[in-house]
Amino acid sequence: MRTNQISAEQREKAFVSARKPEVMEKQKLDVRYHVEDFDVNDRPRRFLEAFAAILKHSNYRVALDHFIRVSAKCSRCATTCQVYQATGDPKDIPCYRSELLLSVYRRHFTMGGMLRGRVAGTGHLTDEKVQEMADSFYDCTACRRCNHECPSGIDHGLITHLGRYILSEIGIAPRALVVSTREQLEGASGNTSAIPVPALIDTLEFLSEDMLEEKHVNIAFPLDVEGSEFVFFPAVSDFLMEAETLMGIAAVFTATGDSWTTGTGYFDGINYGLFYSDRILERVVKKIDNETRRLKGKKVLIGECGHASRSAKQFLPIYCGGDKALPVINIMEYTHKVWKEGRLKLDPNVITEKVAYHDPCNIARQGWIIDKPRELLKAFCKDYVELTPNGEDAVCCGGGGGTVSIDEIRPYRTMVGGKVKADQIRESGCKILVAPCANCKKQLKELVEDQKIDCEVAGLHDLIYKAIIFDDSLKVSPDEKQTGEEE
Amino acid sequence: MDAWLEFARGPLFRLSFGVMMLGLLRVLLLDLYGAWEAYRRAGDKTLPWGYIIRRTLVWFFPINKVFKGRPFYSICSILFHIGLILVPVLLFAHIQLWESGVGISWPALPKPVADWLTISTIVFALALFIGRSFSRTSSFLSRKQDYLWPLLLLLPFVTGYVCANMSVGASTYQVTMLIHILSAELIFVLLPFTKIAHCILLPFSQFVSCVAWRFPADTDDAVCTTLNKKGAPV
Ligand code: HEM
Ligand code: SF4
Ligand code: SF4
Repeated sequence: MRTNQISAEQREKAFVSARKPEVMEKQKLDVRYHVEDFDVNDRPRRFLEAFAAILKHSNYRVALDHFIRVSAKCSRCATTCQVYQATGDPKDIPCYRSELLLSVYRRHFTMGGMLRGRVAGTGHLTDEKVQEMADSFYDCTACRRCNHECPSGIDHGLITHLGRYILSEIGIAPRALVVSTREQLEGASGNTSAIPVPALIDTLEFLSEDMLEEKHVNIAFPLDVEGSEFVFFPAVSDFLMEAETLMGIAAVFTATGDSWTTGTGYFDGINYGLFYSDRILERVVKKIDNETRRLKGKKVLIGECGHASRSAKQFLPIYCGGDKALPVINIMEYTHKVWKEGRLKLDPNVITEKVAYHDPCNIARQGWIIDKPRELLKAFCKDYVELTPNGEDAVCCGGGGGTVSIDEIRPYRTMVGGKVKADQIRESGCKILVAPCANCKKQLKELVEDQKIDCEVAGLHDLIYKAIIFDDSLKVSPDEKQTGEEE
Repeated sequence: MDAWLEFARGPLFRLSFGVMMLGLLRVLLLDLYGAWEAYRRAGDKTLPWGYIIRRTLVWFFPINKVFKGRPFYSICSILFHIGLILVPVLLFAHIQLWESGVGISWPALPKPVADWLTISTIVFALALFIGRSFSRTSSFLSRKQDYLWPLLLLLPFVTGYVCANMSVGASTYQVTMLIHILSAELIFVLLPFTKIAHCILLPFSQFVSCVAWRFPADTDDAVCTTLNKKGAPV
């Protein structure tokens, strides 16, 4: 029943050892998105080993113990999962997906399961089950919407997260994510898009020139300014793909005059660890912390990116000092605050199309930032509509959980994962869909293209850039322009 | 027969009730101890209490949740639970037994209310069973215990209703009463070891999930060491 265009055969090919010669050959296949560095045999044993090691050094056990005791199998969650709604395949019911891992836990890590296994000699982990998990956990976008409808409170997002972490320890993880992370942690550029610092500086100067042209204001991207209030970490891909968003953010800072800076030591908010490995999550979070401290910044500022925001907000305190950790804020919180204070003026006559706001799962699901962008948008967009449902119950764009970075599965994302979202967008009739998240933007752009919806996808600050009104004192006269150099 | 009934009412009741209470206490303590252990190791000790409490309370007053997913099933489930919990605890005949046994008592439900609640519990238990069997999603997920529980719970309610409201012969009455008591005791014994442990664990679901998301600090190194992967490339 899958409308997914990836056949079972193709999927099979996606899981092969990257180091074997026959695998090198297979790397020329069109669909192959997992890496697997070890011998494919013996996967169950290695899976259990990794599972045991992770349980030993984490807090998952308490949740797993709880979930295996309470799960009611009522299937209410099926009504909320956009993947199940699109495929109708019972294997996509959240509770079924979670049970894949919970059953391994029950059988191999609880007394009852081990006894039953001894007596009956059945139910142990097989290679097929490992394979099924590898498939299933990357069909889920970890949007955690199902958690809100589960009367037993089972957190499928947590289970998917853990399942992927274990799989990554035995070499099963999406190639796209691993390659980017490798560049970020071990590569020369130190960021996921492999942008060298000189190229970054060039790009920013170029953007500033553009903005001077358009707005007649010197809008800078301050680099390496020590002691700034905010040290800025956008999704680094924004420098390549979402320049308008960055321009909007720089424009806001220029209008308010608050100090912010981007560090040339490290300037990437992306943290794919959130999608496949806690170990990576920890290392990346620490890079953000180090750079902010190097620059003696007071706060970590994350750009328009859901997963980057959540991974910093939730995990910086965990890995970098508990209550002594640096505060983390999302750019929308800042912009909303300065607008409230009257330090940011927006022209209500610029945006006339019908605008809707998409809540990124990582920002809205737990009720973090929901009303602020809406207040801002309503203040300067004439025609604002809501997608329903929204806020904490918003539907995932279909590219969550890192799947958006896997170009090989685009048909799956836009035809299956994003189907419900597409229907929602169509129904709202919006012409501009605001999505303050690099992942959501990429997915939604592909979604409206593949589903042939007449709608433009933009960031919140893209629109703010269009509508911002600068103080006359900031305006540069034409002859000053020549000397209006950036630092 | 009388001796059997005596045995079921006396020692067997005390035993099964004790098993249930201790069993529930055990899962509750294990759960809370696990959460405490996790909290102690957590790198970040702040918990989003507002969120946890809000999300927990939503399910205690599931009014606005009912119509979102599987409304028919959810309504059945709620009405089923109401009778299931109220009738055994607040039935006049049960309270009398407690009073004669341990000397404590509390207000009882009026008999007509208790009767109607019993009937509704029976009806909704059947509805849940049928709903589960015919729902494509539920039946796909269900284990044996998910089918058996509604049926097992029917037994004491049906037999109880028969004994209280129908004029049956003395021996039939005795057999029915025996089934009533034994089935209830079977429920007591199984309850803490199956999914019905939810009756004590559910209020902690959100709390436990949030604690589990609070990872310990510096596990990269520890996991690497345990898995012998120190220094391995990403
Ligand atoms: C005091 C608290 C209790 C609460 C808060 C509670 C809550 C719940 C919830 C949320 C579900 C799952 C979802 C649903 O069906 O809507 C459920 C299912 C169930 N509960 Fe309870 N419950 C309680 C007590 C009990 C007790 C004491 C029993 C039995 C002795 C029981 C028997 C069942 C059964 C059999 C189901 C599964 C129904 C089905 O889907 O077939 N519950 N309960
Ligand atoms: S809603 Fe919760 S208990 Fe019900 S089937 Fe889904 S995960 Fe299981
Ligand atoms: S987290 Fe989202 S995609 Fe995954 S099972 Fe739940 S609702 Fe479906």
